[in-house]
Amino acid sequence: MISLRGVSLVYPNGTRALYDVDLEIEKGSFVFLVGHSGTGKSSLLKLLYREELPSSGQVVVDDIRVDTLRRGRVPKLRRNIGVVFQDFKLLSHKTVWENVAFALQVTGTRTKDVMRMVPRSLDLVGLSHKARVFPSELSGGEQQRAAIARALVGNPKILLCDEPTGNLDPSNTTEIMELLQRINIKGTTVVVATHNQAVVDRMRRRVVRLEHGRILHDDERGYYFRGLGQTALLPG
Amino acid sequence: MDWGRLRFFLGEVFTNFTRNAGMQFTAIGTVAVTIVLLGAFLFVRDTIATFGNGVLSQIEIAVYLKDDVDDAKARGLAATFAADPRIASATYVPRRDGLKRMKDVLGSDFDTSLLTANPLPNAYHVRVKDPDLVPAVARSIDRDPRVAKTDYAADTVQKLLKAATILGRAGVALIALLSISAAIVIANTIRLTVFARRREIAIMQLVGATNMYIRLPFIAEGMLAGLLGAALAIGVLTLAAYEVVPKLASTLAFVTFHVNTLTLCFELLAVGAAVGLIASWFSVGRHLRA
Ligand SMILES: Nc1ncnc2c1ncn2[C@@H]1O[C@H](COP(=O)(O)OP(=O)(O)O)[C@@H](O)[C@H]1O
Ligand SMILES: [Mg+2]
Repeated sequence: MISLRGVSLVYPNGTRALYDVDLEIEKGSFVFLVGHSGTGKSSLLKLLYREELPSSGQVVVDDIRVDTLRRGRVPKLRRNIGVVFQDFKLLSHKTVWENVAFALQVTGTRTKDVMRMVPRSLDLVGLSHKARVFPSELSGGEQQRAAIARALVGNPKILLCDEPTGNLDPSNTTEIMELLQRINIKGTTVVVATHNQAVVDRMRRRVVRLEHGRILHDDERGYYFRGLGQTALLPG
Repeated sequence: MDWGRLRFFLGEVFTNFTRNAGMQFTAIGTVAVTIVLLGAFLFVRDTIATFGNGVLSQIEIAVYLKDDVDDAKARGLAATFAADPRIASATYVPRRDGLKRMKDVLGSDFDTSLLTANPLPNAYHVRVKDPDLVPAVARSIDRDPRVAKTDYAADTVQKLLKAATILGRAGVALIALLSISAAIVIANTIRLTVFARRREIAIMQLVGATNMYIRLPFIAEGMLAGLLGAALAIGVLTLAAYEVVPKLASTLAFVTFHVNTLTLCFELLAVGAAVGLIASWFSVGRHLRA
Protein backbone atom coordinates (compact mmCIF):
# COMPACT_ATOMS: atom_id res chain seq x y z
CA MET A 1 0.00 0.00 0.00
CA ILE A 2 2.83 2.38 0.97
CA SER A 3 6.46 1.93 0.01
CA LEU A 4 9.48 4.19 0.48
CA ARG A 5 12.81 3.13 -1.03
CA GLY A 6 16.02 5.03 -0.28
CA VAL A 7 14.08 8.22 0.35
CA SER A 8 15.92 11.38 1.35
CA LEU A 9 14.42 14.82 1.80
CA VAL A 10 16.42 18.03 1.89
CA TYR A 11 14.39 21.24 2.24
CA PRO A 12 15.30 24.21 0.02
CA ASN A 13 16.95 25.93 2.99
CA GLY A 14 19.36 23.00 3.31
CA THR A 15 17.69 21.24 6.27
CA ARG A 16 17.98 17.46 5.88
CA ALA A 17 14.71 16.00 7.18
CA LEU A 18 15.03 12.37 6.00
CA TYR A 19 18.06 10.18 5.20
CA ASP A 20 17.80 7.07 3.05
CA VAL A 21 14.50 5.85 4.50
CA ASP A 22 13.13 2.40 3.54
CA LEU A 23 9.64 1.60 4.70
CA GLU A 24 6.89 -0.80 3.62
CA ILE A 25 3.35 -0.54 4.98
CA GLU A 26 0.82 -3.22 4.09
CA LYS A 27 -2.76 -2.62 3.13
CA GLY A 28 -5.05 -2.51 6.13
CA SER A 29 -2.30 -2.11 8.73
CA PHE A 30 -2.03 0.33 11.62
CA VAL A 31 1.37 1.98 12.07
CA PHE A 32 2.74 4.44 14.61
CA LEU A 33 5.47 6.79 13.48
CA VAL A 34 7.22 7.97 16.62
CA GLY A 35 10.18 10.11 17.59
CA HIS A 36 11.08 13.45 19.13
CA SER A 37 9.79 16.56 17.50
CA GLY A 38 11.92 17.56 14.53
CA THR A 39 12.92 14.02 13.59
CA GLY A 40 10.99 14.02 10.31
CA LYS A 41 7.61 12.42 11.09
CA SER A 42 5.58 15.15 9.45
CA SER A 43 8.02 15.28 6.55
CA LEU A 44 7.56 11.57 5.91
CA LEU A 45 3.77 11.94 5.88
CA LYS A 46 4.04 14.93 3.53
CA LEU A 47 5.92 12.77 1.04
CA LEU A 48 2.98 10.36 0.99
CA TYR A 49 0.36 12.96 0.01
CA ARG A 50 2.89 14.80 -2.14
CA GLU A 51 3.04 17.96 -0.13
CA GLU A 52 6.80 17.53 -0.50
CA LEU A 53 8.82 15.73 -3.15
CA PRO A 54 11.78 13.54 -2.13
CA SER A 55 15.27 14.75 -3.05
CA SER A 56 16.08 11.16 -3.95
CA GLY A 57 14.47 7.75 -3.68
CA GLN A 58 11.09 6.45 -4.67
CA VAL A 59 7.68 6.85 -3.05
CA VAL A 60 4.79 4.56 -4.00
CA VAL A 61 1.30 4.96 -2.54
CA ASP A 62 -1.49 2.64 -3.66
CA ASP A 63 0.49 1.65 -6.77
CA ILE A 64 1.04 5.29 -7.71
CA ARG A 65 4.62 6.55 -8.12
CA VAL A 66 4.22 9.72 -6.07
CA ASP A 67 7.75 11.09 -6.56
CA THR A 68 7.34 11.31 -10.34
CA LEU A 69 3.61 12.06 -10.33
CA ARG A 70 2.54 14.79 -12.73
CA ARG A 71 1.10 17.87 -11.04
CA GLY A 72 -2.26 17.38 -12.73
CA ARG A 73 -2.61 13.90 -11.19
CA VAL A 74 -2.06 15.03 -7.60
CA PRO A 75 -5.79 15.66 -6.88
CA LYS A 76 -6.60 12.05 -7.75
CA LEU A 77 -3.89 10.79 -5.37
CA ARG A 78 -5.17 12.99 -2.56
CA ARG A 79 -8.76 11.81 -2.96
CA ASN A 80 -7.41 8.43 -1.93
CA ILE A 81 -5.67 9.73 1.18
CA GLY A 82 -7.36 11.30 4.19
CA VAL A 83 -5.15 13.57 6.31
CA VAL A 84 -5.77 14.73 9.90
CA PHE A 85 -3.69 17.27 11.83
CA GLN A 86 -3.06 18.34 15.38
CA ASP A 87 -4.86 21.66 14.79
CA PHE A 88 -7.92 20.07 13.08
CA LYS A 89 -7.96 22.65 10.24
CA LEU A 90 -11.73 23.06 10.31
CA LEU A 91 -13.32 26.09 8.64
CA SER A 92 -14.73 28.22 11.42
CA HIS A 93 -17.54 29.83 9.39
CA LYS A 94 -18.92 26.47 8.27
CA THR A 95 -20.91 24.02 10.37
CA VAL A 96 -19.67 20.49 11.03
CA TRP A 97 -21.92 19.24 8.26
CA GLU A 98 -20.62 21.89 5.84
CA ASN A 99 -17.01 21.18 6.78
CA VAL A 100 -17.42 17.51 5.99
CA ALA A 101 -19.46 18.18 2.84
CA PHE A 102 -16.83 20.68 1.68
CA ALA A 103 -14.34 17.89 0.92
CA LEU A 104 -16.88 16.29 -1.42
CA GLN A 105 -18.25 19.47 -2.95
CA VAL A 106 -14.87 20.82 -4.00
CA THR A 107 -14.04 17.54 -5.70
CA GLY A 108 -17.17 17.76 -7.81
CA THR A 109 -19.33 15.15 -6.06
CA ARG A 110 -22.99 15.15 -7.03
CA THR A 111 -25.32 16.64 -4.41
CA LYS A 112 -27.24 13.37 -4.25
CA ASP A 113 -24.05 11.57 -3.18
CA VAL A 114 -23.04 14.35 -0.77
CA MET A 115 -26.39 13.97 1.01
CA ARG A 116 -25.77 10.26 1.37
CA MET A 117 -22.06 10.26 2.26
CA VAL A 118 -21.87 13.09 4.81
CA PRO A 119 -24.34 11.55 7.33
CA ARG A 120 -22.59 8.19 7.03
CA SER A 121 -19.23 9.73 7.88
CA LEU A 122 -20.64 11.80 10.75
CA ASP A 123 -22.28 8.66 12.08
CA LEU A 124 -18.97 6.77 11.93
CA VAL A 125 -17.25 9.37 14.17
CA GLY A 126 -20.33 9.76 16.39
CA LEU A 127 -21.07 13.40 15.58
CA SER A 128 -24.48 13.13 13.90
CA HIS A 129 -26.09 15.11 16.69
CA LYS A 130 -23.62 18.01 16.23
CA ALA A 131 -24.01 18.32 12.47
CA ARG A 132 -25.48 21.85 12.57
CA VAL A 133 -22.98 23.17 15.10
CA PHE A 134 -19.98 25.41 14.38
CA PRO A 135 -16.46 24.18 15.29
CA SER A 136 -16.06 26.84 17.98
CA GLU A 137 -18.96 25.22 19.87
CA LEU A 138 -17.24 21.81 19.95
CA SER A 139 -14.74 20.29 22.38
CA GLY A 140 -11.27 19.51 21.09
CA GLY A 141 -12.10 15.84 20.79
CA GLU A 142 -15.27 16.62 18.86
CA GLN A 143 -13.37 18.94 16.55
CA GLN A 144 -10.89 16.21 15.81
CA ARG A 145 -13.73 13.78 15.14
CA ALA A 146 -15.21 16.30 12.70
CA ALA A 147 -11.81 16.53 11.00
CA ILE A 148 -11.64 12.73 10.80
CA ALA A 149 -15.16 12.65 9.34
CA ARG A 150 -14.00 15.10 6.67
CA ALA A 151 -10.87 13.06 5.95
CA LEU A 152 -12.90 9.86 5.58
CA VAL A 153 -16.02 11.11 3.82
CA GLY A 154 -14.66 10.28 0.37
CA ASN A 155 -13.77 6.70 1.42
CA PRO A 156 -9.98 6.99 1.10
CA LYS A 157 -7.88 3.84 1.39
CA ILE A 158 -5.35 5.53 3.63
CA LEU A 159 -5.72 7.77 6.67
CA LEU A 160 -2.66 9.78 7.71
CA CYS A 161 -2.74 11.41 11.16
CA ASP A 162 -0.09 13.95 12.16
CA GLU A 163 -0.13 14.28 15.97
CA PRO A 164 -3.93 13.78 16.03
CA THR A 165 -4.09 13.94 19.83
CA GLY A 166 -1.46 16.65 20.30
CA ASN A 167 -4.07 19.18 21.44
CA LEU A 168 -6.30 16.80 23.39
CA ASP A 169 -6.63 15.78 27.04
CA PRO A 170 -6.15 12.10 28.00
CA SER A 171 -9.81 11.11 27.83
CA ASN A 172 -10.33 12.73 24.43
CA THR A 173 -7.06 11.15 23.32
CA THR A 174 -8.33 7.70 24.25
CA GLU A 175 -11.58 8.37 22.42
CA ILE A 176 -9.81 9.42 19.22
CA MET A 177 -7.40 6.46 19.32
CA GLU A 178 -10.36 4.09 19.73
CA LEU A 179 -12.02 5.74 16.77
CA LEU A 180 -8.87 5.33 14.66
CA GLN A 181 -8.73 1.68 15.62
CA ARG A 182 -12.36 1.16 14.56
CA ILE A 183 -11.61 2.88 11.24
CA ASN A 184 -8.63 0.56 10.77
CA ILE A 185 -10.70 -2.52 11.48
CA LYS A 186 -13.11 -1.46 8.71
CA GLY A 187 -10.16 -1.79 6.30
CA THR A 188 -8.52 1.65 6.09
CA THR A 189 -4.72 1.73 6.34
CA VAL A 190 -3.91 4.09 9.22
CA VAL A 191 -0.56 5.84 9.84
CA VAL A 192 -0.27 7.91 13.02
CA ALA A 193 2.67 10.21 13.72
CA THR A 194 2.85 10.93 17.43
CA HIS A 195 5.18 11.53 20.32
CA ASN A 196 2.56 10.46 22.86
CA GLN A 197 4.23 7.54 24.65
CA ALA A 198 1.14 6.46 26.62
CA VAL A 199 -0.96 6.06 23.49
CA VAL A 200 1.68 4.01 21.69
CA ASP A 201 2.46 1.76 24.63
CA ARG A 202 -1.21 1.04 25.33
CA MET A 203 -2.11 0.14 21.72
CA ARG A 204 0.74 -2.32 21.02
CA ARG A 205 0.75 -1.85 17.26
CA ARG A 206 3.60 -1.62 14.79
CA VAL A 207 5.97 1.17 15.83
CA VAL A 208 8.40 2.83 13.42
CA ARG A 209 10.83 5.00 15.30
CA LEU A 210 12.54 7.91 13.56
CA GLU A 211 15.56 9.72 14.89
CA HIS A 212 17.28 12.59 13.09
CA GLY A 213 15.60 11.59 9.86
CA ARG A 214 16.58 7.92 9.97
CA ILE A 215 14.57 4.83 10.94
CA LEU A 216 16.02 3.72 14.25
CA HIS A 217 13.83 0.67 14.75
CA ASP A 218 10.66 -0.87 13.38
CA ASP A 219 8.79 -3.32 15.67
CA GLU A 220 5.58 -5.27 15.30
CA ARG A 221 3.53 -4.83 18.49
CA GLY A 222 6.17 -2.37 19.71
CA TYR A 223 6.59 0.22 22.42
CA TYR A 224 7.44 3.91 22.20
CA PHE A 225 10.91 3.17 23.59
CA ARG A 226 12.25 -0.22 22.58
CA GLY A 227 12.53 -2.38 25.70
CA LEU A 228 11.29 0.30 28.06
CA GLY A 229 7.64 -0.71 27.61
CA GLN A 230 8.20 -4.07 29.30
CA THR A 231 10.02 -2.60 32.29
CA ALA A 232 7.25 -0.06 32.70
CA LEU A 233 4.81 -2.94 33.04
CA LEU A 234 6.82 -4.70 35.75
CA PRO A 235 5.24 -4.49 39.17
CA GLY A 236 6.87 -2.36 41.86
CA MET B 1 -28.63 20.14 -13.65
CA ASP B 2 -27.35 19.73 -10.10
CA TRP B 3 -28.77 22.76 -8.29
CA GLY B 4 -27.02 21.85 -5.04
CA ARG B 5 -23.65 22.14 -6.76
CA LEU B 6 -24.57 25.44 -8.38
CA ARG B 7 -25.81 26.82 -5.07
CA PHE B 8 -22.59 25.73 -3.34
CA PHE B 9 -20.49 27.37 -6.04
CA LEU B 10 -22.44 30.65 -5.96
CA GLY B 11 -22.28 30.60 -2.17
CA GLU B 12 -18.49 30.34 -2.34
CA VAL B 13 -18.32 33.23 -4.84
CA PHE B 14 -20.57 35.34 -2.64
CA THR B 15 -18.46 34.61 0.46
CA ASN B 16 -15.35 35.57 -1.49
CA PHE B 17 -16.95 38.70 -2.79
CA THR B 18 -18.10 39.99 0.57
CA ARG B 19 -14.86 39.01 2.31
CA ASN B 20 -13.19 42.34 1.52
CA ALA B 21 -16.00 44.58 0.42
CA GLY B 22 -13.99 47.80 0.67
CA MET B 23 -11.44 46.58 -1.82
CA GLN B 24 -14.22 45.32 -4.07
CA PHE B 25 -15.76 48.80 -4.19
CA THR B 26 -12.42 50.22 -5.27
CA ALA B 27 -12.13 47.58 -7.95
CA ILE B 28 -15.66 48.15 -9.20
CA GLY B 29 -15.13 51.92 -9.16
CA THR B 30 -11.92 51.68 -11.16
CA VAL B 31 -13.57 49.49 -13.75
CA ALA B 32 -16.53 51.89 -13.89
CA VAL B 33 -14.33 54.95 -14.46
CA THR B 34 -12.39 53.12 -17.16
CA ILE B 35 -15.53 52.06 -18.94
CA VAL B 36 -17.25 55.44 -18.69
CA LEU B 37 -14.21 56.95 -20.38
CA LEU B 38 -14.19 54.14 -22.92
CA GLY B 39 -17.87 54.79 -23.65
CA ALA B 40 -17.32 58.55 -23.95
CA PHE B 41 -14.35 57.95 -26.20
CA LEU B 42 -16.26 55.57 -28.47
CA PHE B 43 -19.10 58.10 -28.65
CA VAL B 44 -16.82 60.99 -29.62
CA ARG B 45 -14.96 58.84 -32.12
CA ASP B 46 -18.16 57.60 -33.76
CA THR B 47 -19.54 61.10 -33.90
CA ILE B 48 -16.42 62.42 -35.57
CA ALA B 49 -16.36 59.52 -38.00
CA THR B 50 -20.01 60.00 -38.93
CA PHE B 51 -19.51 63.72 -39.26
CA GLY B 52 -16.30 63.34 -41.26
CA ASN B 53 -17.84 60.84 -43.66
CA GLY B 54 -20.87 63.08 -44.07
CA VAL B 55 -18.63 65.99 -44.99
CA LEU B 56 -16.46 63.90 -47.24
CA SER B 57 -19.38 62.53 -49.21
CA GLN B 58 -20.44 66.08 -49.92
CA ILE B 59 -17.09 67.32 -51.14
CA GLU B 60 -17.28 68.88 -54.55
CA ILE B 61 -14.44 69.89 -56.78
CA ALA B 62 -15.07 73.33 -58.18
CA VAL B 63 -13.59 73.43 -61.67
CA TYR B 64 -13.15 77.01 -62.94
CA LEU B 65 -12.77 77.30 -66.67
CA LYS B 66 -10.59 79.74 -68.52
CA ASP B 67 -12.22 83.02 -69.62
CA ASP B 68 -12.02 82.17 -73.30
CA VAL B 69 -13.96 78.93 -72.83
CA ASP B 70 -17.51 79.76 -73.83
CA ASP B 71 -20.62 77.74 -73.07
CA ALA B 72 -20.33 75.59 -76.15
CA LYS B 73 -16.71 74.69 -75.54
CA ALA B 74 -17.43 74.14 -71.89
CA ARG B 75 -20.14 71.59 -72.62
CA GLY B 76 -17.52 69.51 -74.39
CA LEU B 77 -15.90 68.87 -71.03
CA ALA B 78 -19.00 66.97 -69.86
CA ALA B 79 -17.98 64.05 -72.09
CA THR B 80 -14.49 64.01 -70.55
CA PHE B 81 -15.98 63.89 -67.05
CA ALA B 82 -18.48 61.20 -68.05
CA ALA B 83 -15.64 59.05 -69.32
CA ASP B 84 -13.83 59.17 -65.97
CA PRO B 85 -15.02 56.22 -63.84
CA ARG B 86 -14.02 57.97 -60.60
CA ILE B 87 -16.45 60.82 -61.15
CA ALA B 88 -19.97 60.46 -59.84
CA SER B 89 -21.49 63.56 -61.39
CA ALA B 90 -20.54 66.83 -63.00
CA THR B 91 -22.86 69.83 -63.08
CA TYR B 92 -22.21 72.73 -65.39
CA VAL B 93 -22.61 76.09 -63.70
CA PRO B 94 -22.49 78.94 -66.23
CA ARG B 95 -21.24 82.26 -64.82
CA ARG B 96 -24.72 83.79 -64.46
CA ASP B 97 -25.95 80.80 -62.43
CA GLY B 98 -22.81 80.97 -60.33
CA LEU B 99 -23.61 84.47 -59.22
CA LYS B 100 -27.15 83.46 -58.34
CA ARG B 101 -25.93 80.49 -56.35
CA MET B 102 -23.54 82.64 -54.43
CA LYS B 103 -26.43 85.00 -53.59
CA ASP B 104 -28.50 82.04 -52.45
CA VAL B 105 -25.79 80.77 -50.16
CA LEU B 106 -24.61 84.05 -48.72
CA GLY B 107 -27.99 85.80 -48.69
CA SER B 108 -28.23 89.52 -47.95
CA ASP B 109 -24.59 89.70 -46.82
CA PHE B 110 -23.63 89.59 -50.48
CA ASP B 111 -24.29 92.92 -52.14
CA THR B 112 -24.28 92.53 -55.94
CA SER B 113 -25.08 96.16 -56.56
CA LEU B 114 -21.40 97.00 -56.20
CA LEU B 115 -20.40 94.71 -59.04
CA THR B 116 -20.04 96.32 -62.49
CA ALA B 117 -19.52 92.99 -64.21
CA ASN B 118 -19.92 89.30 -63.25
CA PRO B 119 -16.46 88.29 -61.95
CA LEU B 120 -17.18 84.58 -61.98
CA PRO B 121 -15.90 82.22 -64.66
CA ASN B 122 -17.90 79.37 -66.11
CA ALA B 123 -17.50 76.37 -63.86
CA TYR B 124 -18.27 72.72 -63.25
CA HIS B 125 -19.11 71.20 -59.89
CA VAL B 126 -17.70 67.69 -59.88
CA ARG B 127 -18.59 65.01 -57.34
CA VAL B 128 -16.23 62.10 -56.85
CA LYS B 129 -17.43 58.62 -55.91
CA ASP B 130 -14.67 57.93 -53.35
CA PRO B 131 -13.71 60.84 -51.07
CA ASP B 132 -10.13 59.55 -50.94
CA LEU B 133 -9.76 60.12 -54.68
CA VAL B 134 -10.67 63.83 -54.56
CA PRO B 135 -7.08 65.14 -54.72
CA ALA B 136 -6.12 62.79 -57.61
CA VAL B 137 -9.22 63.63 -59.63
CA ALA B 138 -8.68 67.34 -59.05
CA ARG B 139 -5.10 67.05 -60.31
CA SER B 140 -6.07 65.24 -63.48
CA ILE B 141 -8.83 67.78 -64.21
CA ASP B 142 -6.30 70.54 -63.67
CA ARG B 143 -4.25 69.27 -66.62
CA ASP B 144 -7.07 69.92 -69.09
CA PRO B 145 -6.19 73.02 -71.22
CA ARG B 146 -9.69 74.47 -70.80
CA VAL B 147 -9.41 74.47 -67.00
CA ALA B 148 -8.06 77.54 -65.22
CA LYS B 149 -8.12 76.22 -61.68
CA THR B 150 -9.64 73.56 -59.41
CA ASP B 151 -10.63 74.02 -55.81
CA TYR B 152 -11.90 71.81 -52.99
CA ALA B 153 -11.98 71.86 -49.22
CA ALA B 154 -8.95 69.64 -49.06
CA ASP B 155 -7.10 71.11 -46.14
CA THR B 156 -10.07 71.33 -43.86
CA VAL B 157 -11.14 67.78 -44.47
CA GLN B 158 -7.69 66.37 -44.22
CA LYS B 159 -7.03 68.19 -40.97
CA LEU B 160 -10.28 66.89 -39.58
CA LEU B 161 -9.41 63.33 -40.46
CA LYS B 162 -5.92 63.70 -39.10
CA ALA B 163 -7.30 65.06 -35.83
CA ALA B 164 -9.67 62.13 -35.64
CA THR B 165 -6.81 59.69 -36.17
CA ILE B 166 -4.67 61.31 -33.48
CA LEU B 167 -7.61 61.45 -31.11
CA GLY B 168 -8.25 57.78 -31.85
CA ARG B 169 -4.66 56.81 -31.03
CA ALA B 170 -4.55 58.90 -27.86
CA GLY B 171 -7.90 57.45 -26.83
CA VAL B 172 -6.74 53.89 -27.42
CA ALA B 173 -3.59 54.52 -25.38
CA LEU B 174 -5.58 56.11 -22.56
CA ILE B 175 -8.11 53.29 -22.49
CA ALA B 176 -5.32 50.71 -22.53
CA LEU B 177 -3.62 52.39 -19.57
CA LEU B 178 -6.88 52.62 -17.66
CA SER B 179 -7.73 49.00 -18.40
CA ILE B 180 -4.35 47.94 -17.10
CA SER B 181 -4.79 49.90 -13.90
CA ALA B 182 -8.30 48.48 -13.47
CA ALA B 183 -6.87 45.00 -13.98
CA ILE B 184 -4.18 45.67 -11.38
CA VAL B 185 -6.75 46.82 -8.83
CA ILE B 186 -8.85 43.71 -9.48
CA ALA B 187 -5.77 41.48 -9.29
CA ASN B 188 -4.87 43.00 -5.92
CA THR B 189 -8.41 42.55 -4.66
CA ILE B 190 -8.37 38.92 -5.69
CA ARG B 191 -4.99 38.49 -4.03
CA LEU B 192 -6.47 39.76 -0.78
CA THR B 193 -9.37 37.34 -1.15
CA VAL B 194 -6.97 34.52 -1.87
CA PHE B 195 -5.06 35.49 1.26
CA ALA B 196 -8.25 35.69 3.33
CA ARG B 197 -9.21 32.25 2.04
CA ARG B 198 -5.82 30.57 2.27
CA ARG B 199 -7.18 28.05 4.81
CA GLU B 200 -9.99 27.03 2.47
CA ILE B 201 -7.56 26.77 -0.41
CA ALA B 202 -5.17 24.65 1.65
CA ILE B 203 -8.00 22.27 2.55
CA MET B 204 -9.24 22.14 -1.02
CA GLN B 205 -5.76 21.16 -2.15
CA LEU B 206 -5.49 18.64 0.66
CA VAL B 207 -8.73 16.83 -0.19
CA GLY B 208 -7.91 16.73 -3.88
CA ALA B 209 -9.72 19.62 -5.55
CA THR B 210 -8.23 20.42 -8.95
CA ASN B 211 -6.47 23.73 -9.46
CA MET B 212 -9.14 24.59 -12.03
CA TYR B 213 -11.86 24.07 -9.46
CA ILE B 214 -10.01 26.11 -6.83
CA ARG B 215 -9.51 28.87 -9.35
CA LEU B 216 -13.10 29.06 -10.54
CA PRO B 217 -14.72 30.99 -7.65
CA PHE B 218 -11.94 33.58 -7.76
CA ILE B 219 -12.26 33.95 -11.52
CA ALA B 220 -16.01 34.34 -11.07
CA GLU B 221 -15.36 36.92 -8.38
CA GLY B 222 -13.06 38.93 -10.67
CA MET B 223 -15.56 38.74 -13.51
CA LEU B 224 -18.33 39.82 -11.16
CA ALA B 225 -16.34 42.89 -10.13
CA GLY B 226 -15.70 43.66 -13.80
CA LEU B 227 -19.35 43.19 -14.75
CA LEU B 228 -20.62 45.31 -11.85
CA GLY B 229 -18.14 48.04 -12.78
CA ALA B 230 -19.33 47.91 -16.38
CA ALA B 231 -22.98 47.97 -15.32
CA LEU B 232 -22.31 51.01 -13.16
CA ALA B 233 -20.55 52.67 -16.09
CA ILE B 234 -23.45 51.88 -18.41
CA GLY B 235 -25.78 53.51 -15.90
CA VAL B 236 -23.66 56.66 -15.87
CA LEU B 237 -23.37 56.67 -19.66
CA THR B 238 -27.11 56.18 -20.11
CA LEU B 239 -27.78 59.08 -17.80
CA ALA B 240 -25.30 61.17 -19.76
CA ALA B 241 -26.92 60.14 -23.03
CA TYR B 242 -30.33 61.32 -21.84
CA GLU B 243 -29.09 64.49 -20.18
CA VAL B 244 -26.15 65.70 -22.24
CA VAL B 245 -26.65 64.48 -25.79
CA PRO B 246 -29.92 66.37 -26.49
CA LYS B 247 -28.25 69.58 -25.33
CA LEU B 248 -25.24 68.89 -27.51
CA ALA B 249 -27.50 68.06 -30.42
CA SER B 250 -29.30 71.40 -30.17
CA THR B 251 -26.01 73.30 -29.88
CA LEU B 252 -24.14 71.45 -32.59
CA ALA B 253 -27.00 71.07 -35.02
CA PHE B 254 -24.79 70.08 -37.95
CA VAL B 255 -23.51 66.97 -36.14
CA THR B 256 -25.65 63.85 -36.13
CA PHE B 257 -25.44 61.89 -32.89
CA HIS B 258 -25.96 58.24 -33.25
CA VAL B 259 -25.19 55.43 -30.82
CA ASN B 260 -26.01 51.76 -31.26
CA THR B 261 -26.87 51.39 -27.59
CA LEU B 262 -27.52 47.69 -27.22
CA THR B 263 -24.37 46.53 -28.99
CA LEU B 264 -22.36 49.10 -27.09
CA CYS B 265 -23.75 47.88 -23.75
CA PHE B 266 -22.78 44.31 -24.52
CA GLU B 267 -19.35 45.41 -25.65
CA LEU B 268 -18.77 47.39 -22.48
CA LEU B 269 -19.97 44.51 -20.29
CA ALA B 270 -17.67 42.19 -22.21
CA VAL B 271 -14.76 44.56 -21.63
CA GLY B 272 -15.50 44.63 -17.90
CA ALA B 273 -15.81 40.86 -17.67
CA ALA B 274 -12.64 40.35 -19.68
CA VAL B 275 -10.60 42.72 -17.51
CA GLY B 276 -11.85 40.92 -14.38
CA LEU B 277 -11.23 37.49 -15.87
CA ILE B 278 -7.67 38.17 -16.98
CA ALA B 279 -6.74 39.92 -13.74
CA SER B 280 -8.09 37.20 -11.44
CA TRP B 281 -6.73 34.37 -13.61
CA PHE B 282 -3.18 35.58 -13.17
CA SER B 283 -3.67 36.61 -9.56
CA VAL B 284 -4.86 33.16 -8.41
CA GLY B 285 -2.53 31.32 -10.76
CA ARG B 286 0.48 32.88 -9.10
CA HIS B 287 -0.72 31.72 -5.70
CA LEU B 288 -1.54 28.15 -6.75
CA ARG B 289 1.83 27.57 -8.37
CA ALA B 290 3.61 28.59 -5.18
N1 LIG C 1 9.15 23.51 5.14
C1 LIG C 1 10.33 23.28 5.77
N2 LIG C 1 11.43 23.95 5.39
C2 LIG C 1 12.60 23.74 5.99
N3 LIG C 1 12.78 22.87 6.99
C3 LIG C 1 11.72 22.18 7.42
C4 LIG C 1 10.44 22.36 6.85
N4 LIG C 1 9.58 21.52 7.48
C5 LIG C 1 10.29 20.87 8.40
N5 LIG C 1 11.58 21.26 8.38
C6 LIG C 1 12.67 20.73 9.22
O1 LIG C 1 12.78 19.35 8.95
C7 LIG C 1 13.03 18.64 10.14
C8 LIG C 1 11.93 17.62 10.35
O2 LIG C 1 10.72 18.29 10.60
P1 LIG C 1 9.32 17.55 10.80
O3 LIG C 1 9.16 16.58 9.68
O4 LIG C 1 8.28 18.58 10.95
O5 LIG C 1 9.55 16.80 12.15
P2 LIG C 1 8.49 16.18 13.17
O6 LIG C 1 7.17 16.15 12.51
O7 LIG C 1 9.04 14.85 13.52
O8 LIG C 1 8.50 17.09 14.36
C9 LIG C 1 13.10 19.66 11.24
O9 LIG C 1 14.48 19.98 11.45
C10 LIG C 1 12.37 20.85 10.69
O10 LIG C 1 12.89 22.04 11.22
MG1 LIG D 1 5.42 17.13 13.08
